[in-house]
Amino acid sequence: MTLGDDAGLVDVAFAACTVLARAGETAVLCGGSAAAYYVPDRYQSLDIDFVVEVGAAPHIVDRALSTIGYTLSTEGHYRHERLPYTLAFPIGPLSIGRDYITAWRTERRGDALLHVYTPTDVVRDRFLHFWAWGDRTALEVALAVARARATDVDTAALHAWVEREIQADASYDASRVARFFASLRDL
Amino acid sequence: MRRDDLRPALFGTAIRDRVLIRLALSENGLHVRELARQIEASANAVHRVVIALERAGVVVSRPVGTTRIVLLNRRWYGAVELRALLDRLVAAYPEVRDRAGAFRERPRRIGKPL
Repeated sequence: MTLGDDAGLVDVAFAACTVLARAGETAVLCGGSAAAYYVPDRYQSLDIDFVVEVGAAPHIVDRALSTIGYTLSTEGHYRHERLPYTLAFPIGPLSIGRDYITAWRTERRGDALLHVYTPTDVVRDRFLHFWAWGDRTALEVALAVARARATDVDTAALHAWVEREIQADASYDASRVARFFASLRDL
Repeated sequence: MRRDDLRPALFGTAIRDRVLIRLALSENGLHVRELARQIEASANAVHRVVIALERAGVVVSRPVGTTRIVLLNRRWYGAVELRALLDRLVAAYPEVRDRAGAFRERPRRIGKPL
């Protein structure tokens, strides 16, 4: 598998996920890069975040990614000589707030594959950024994904998750929740 | 920090314990130099601890002006339990708590008497 000089975020994400899968490691695209996958016209990122299953051997990850030209940099990310995208592997487990993520979508493109957050999980992950830090861009991205993938986003699951988070940490800003759900209704 | 400190390094090292406890006492986060000053450790040592904790997702840092503010990551999956534990551990670190109590995080109006 090779990456051309014009490879974009999605191309790199597919390539990285595929070579890792062939090496026996499951890596799931998450964070802002998962949002960029669903709404590339609304959000772009140069950082591609994957969470690999706990226990993945670093040398296996290094070797797999080297086959597509990515090598470990001193900052702990993987970089490519010609492409601007960096690959990062935040420490797992895969989670959004207090929920562990155990299911994701697997997209296929020829013999390549990509494990990626579901649209519902992207929406709540981006919303959580807004909820916790007041990041308005994250809110806009959450709403953009909800709009683009309206039939795939489980609003009831979002409500139930927000309730669980509030029960665990009552200090979360309730006005941001109200604003989020009001915006979802107006889509 | 005293060399004869006999408290257990619950999170691996005494500095790591103090960093986490001090951050638990912070409402808006602290920059590394202030954090180091508050727990009486070197800025370099605190910086290393912060990088390791950030990599693990336990803390986050965000730019504010020309510095970076460090704070506990409330998005981390174990954030609620960690904070509860740190709230308990504060009692074992009265010097950290006292310094935190004397440190004002909120802005003060110009000219307001101390």
